[in-house]
Amino acid sequence: MVEPRSSILQGTLDLMVLKTLEQMGPLHGYGIARRIEQVGQQALIVNQGTIYLCLVRLLQKRWISAKWGTSDNNRKAKFYAITKAGRAQLKAETENWERVSGVIGRVLGAETGS
Amino acid sequence: MREAIFTVLSRVRALFRRATADADFDQEVETHLAMAEEEHRRRGLSADDARRQARLELGGIAQLREAARETRALPGVECLWLDTRLGVRMLRKSWGLTLVAGLAMAVTIGLGASIFTIWRAFAGTDLPLDEGDRIVAIQPVDRASQRVYRSTTVPDFKRWRDTVKSVENVSAMRTIEPIVIARDAAPGRVPAAEMTASAFQLARVPPVLGRPLIEQDEREGAEPVVVIGYDLWRSGFSSDTHVLGQRIQVGDTHRTIVGVMPESFRFPMNQRLWLPLRTDAAGDGSRQPEDVFVFARLVPGAALERASAEVAALGLLPRDVAATPRLEPRVVPYAMGIFPEVPTSNWISGIIFLVGALLLVPPCANIAILVYARTVTRREEFATRSALGASRGRIVMQLFVEVFVLAIGTGIVALVFARQLSGRLSRIVMPTSNPDSLAFWLDFTPSFATVACVLGFCVLAAAIAGAVPAFHATGRWRRSGMLGSQYRDTGARLGMTWTALLATQVALSLAILPSALEMTWGIFRPAIMGPKLPVNEFLTASLAIEGNASRFATLQSEALRQLASTPGISGVTASAAVLLEESSERVEVEGVDRSETDARLNSVDRSYFDVFGARFLAGRGFEPRDFGDATGTSVIVNRTFVDEVVGEGSPLGRRVRSVSRDESGRIATSAPWYEIVGVVEDFPANNDGPTMYRPMARATHFVSLTIRAPSGAGLAATRLRAIAAALDPNLRAGRIRSLAEIYWQRRSVEHTFGALLGTIVAMVLLFSVAGVYTLMAFIVAQRRREIGVRSALGAEPRRLLVGIFGRATIPLLIGAIVGCALAIAINEALPITMAGGQRIPGVVPVSAALLIFVGVLAVAGPARRAIRVNPTEALRLS
Repeated sequence: MVEPRSSILQGTLDLMVLKTLEQMGPLHGYGIARRIEQVGQQALIVNQGTIYLCLVRLLQKRWISAKWGTSDNNRKAKFYAITKAGRAQLKAETENWERVSGVIGRVLGAETGS
Repeated sequence: MREAIFTVLSRVRALFRRATADADFDQEVETHLAMAEEEHRRRGLSADDARRQARLELGGIAQLREAARETRALPGVECLWLDTRLGVRMLRKSWGLTLVAGLAMAVTIGLGASIFTIWRAFAGTDLPLDEGDRIVAIQPVDRASQRVYRSTTVPDFKRWRDTVKSVENVSAMRTIEPIVIARDAAPGRVPAAEMTASAFQLARVPPVLGRPLIEQDEREGAEPVVVIGYDLWRSGFSSDTHVLGQRIQVGDTHRTIVGVMPESFRFPMNQRLWLPLRTDAAGDGSRQPEDVFVFARLVPGAALERASAEVAALGLLPRDVAATPRLEPRVVPYAMGIFPEVPTSNWISGIIFLVGALLLVPPCANIAILVYARTVTRREEFATRSALGASRGRIVMQLFVEVFVLAIGTGIVALVFARQLSGRLSRIVMPTSNPDSLAFWLDFTPSFATVACVLGFCVLAAAIAGAVPAFHATGRWRRSGMLGSQYRDTGARLGMTWTALLATQVALSLAILPSALEMTWGIFRPAIMGPKLPVNEFLTASLAIEGNASRFATLQSEALRQLASTPGISGVTASAAVLLEESSERVEVEGVDRSETDARLNSVDRSYFDVFGARFLAGRGFEPRDFGDATGTSVIVNRTFVDEVVGEGSPLGRRVRSVSRDESGRIATSAPWYEIVGVVEDFPANNDGPTMYRPMARATHFVSLTIRAPSGAGLAATRLRAIAAALDPNLRAGRIRSLAEIYWQRRSVEHTFGALLGTIVAMVLLFSVAGVYTLMAFIVAQRRREIGVRSALGAEPRRLLVGIFGRATIPLLIGAIVGCALAIAINEALPITMAGGQRIPGVVPVSAALLIFVGVLAVAGPARRAIRVNPTEALRLS
């Protein structure tokens, strides 16, 4: 049984998956996991399994869609693509993230400066 | 919000595609691992290391699959689904319990659902007509007692029609059941209405052929016309499209057909024929029998309250007010006007639910005993579940769901039961002369409210029969430890509470069994034994005269004489009422304490008993001198009257009179005394109760005739009509029916009631058997080891059985003794025969013997199992 992560982390993972799909186009689960690890330059440790739980959640909210296809090395794989609703959500979430991280950054900076 | 809805929808959908979703997920994981493995191999890892690394990065696959399932599914539903499957499996395994509990719940929930359905049907006020909810009835009501008078006088109707502004199409009707002779059908009674033409405009239903009634049809001198219903068109005229203009005999009048109404049209209640209502001729001011039922449609925008206020302000005409000064008119929904005695408040549904819930308690308590015993035997299963982390609540929930699954199954059966039987059951509540005469808007299809009500019953049943015993059992285990040191001891006993309950159940079963047997026997005896009277040979009819009644007695005598001399007719008799349709009166016997009772009363002529071949048990029949006085002083009673009312001693010479009591309970009558001069056998052999026969005074305008025609009733009917027509054009022979028809119609309602009662008796017996069986089987299962040891040591089977069951039978014996005492008391206190039952000599010992017999049968199975316990196996298992 996978322990549920904190909501911030969970939200963050959703955001990263949506961003990845927006940038890369349709991708399978492994591709998404690898992309996030690459972009995070190994600093971000992602339990790859949780990506699939995140994908189930995003599918339920209809922010992404899924279709079976064939991978580069000729394997049957499920490809995920961001939907219109997903893009809108990504935009809103990105703005929110920038605002919140900016505030947190300012707060932490002020603390350091005092 | 949208996302939340999509998520819920997606989770609901996932419920139905669990297997596909699991397979998809496994495929995805497999692809993921293969890709990861390939990549690690490309980076230089060995095949084994690559596989290990790939799995490490992905995490535990089993946990991941479980987490994905949880993410996909509705919270709690997975558990519920598991419990449901377990429940179904347990129901299959314990099929005996399933059968007993299922039957009990189906009957009880079905009964509760039927009561609810019947009430909903009768309390519903929306007619299946265009804007049916705006059709209203206008009727007088007694302000003080709230007694409603369905009908009112024609002058009041005319006044409301001409002056009330908030209603339109004010109409009047009277229901009748004339004999109708159509072209292609045998003569028969047809439910009909004399109705104003405005009622057709009010109903807004166009005819399928011709026209509805119009105002001109109601005028004096207008041609007699009729509008027929679809059924009559089909059966009486073979769906002839040229039926318009043809003649049909309705009563004694030939009428021209002007229209055919559609099949669904049964207005105003359940009619198949419509005649114009002649309000001019009827408006002569007397109250009976010209009163009419008045109804109308609210004008657009008008509310019921406004119409009611307007009508109340107008009031009733002075003549009515003088007769009953507290009367005032009111406007109510149409259906409420027809069934004023049906309460329609919303809280009634709550009361009905409560009644249904109370009905559920006894059978569910019985099921609870059985479930408890089974729960105790499943202790190890629950101990394992508990060790795996299941809480007490979870285990109770599992047992609740097990019974709930059964309850839902029986609930579905109950809804079908309610759908099929509500119509029949409603006739027990509201007996009608015609089996097809239930109002056309009554719909016994279970509504959403009925389904909700049944669901409520199911939850309640599962709570009593599943959760309570589970809660009790797990509570005991919590105190003693699931597999604690006291396991053997506590397991070997069913527990005082439950054993006491079982003993109580045996006592109660025995207590009610004799009375229930007598009631059931009383109801079914006539069907089993037959009426003991060749009811098919008898034809009943009414003979009435219209207009000048001075010659009626002479015409009646002549008609009877001519009928009696007709070949094929062996006897004719006249009476006030037809056999089995006598009115009832409160009577008392002089000098007999507490003799006051309801008795059927009929006035008959001299040949009445001869025609029926009734045997005299004592005294004499009526003689000419009994008819000398206008009132007469002699009375003949039947056997049941003597048995139940007169009691010990000779009935002859005793005096009887009708009594009526005022509101304070004092006798308020000055009815003359009648002397019993003869006792006649009950006829037909039925349980219709005490009956008195008086000599019939000279009839003035109406008598009932009974004709005995062994060669066929059809001939007698034709002959009667011919004689009546020949004697006087105003002499009418009507309501021609076979006695068999009347007899079996009366019985059919009683049979429904009897079947219900019989089912309840069978259930009570079944529970006793199941309870005793469970107790004994439980003891054998728990004491297997002990039985094995004793058997190995050479104990005799008889001693073994006494040792095993001896202690257990003590509470049962106590239950049986208490039950016998209660049975005698209840049986003596209940007025069984008055309620339609039939006394059975020695019914209490018979019931006790019956219960002991089924008890022994119940013990037989476990006893055989006990004797056959293999000592080696029993010791090894323990």
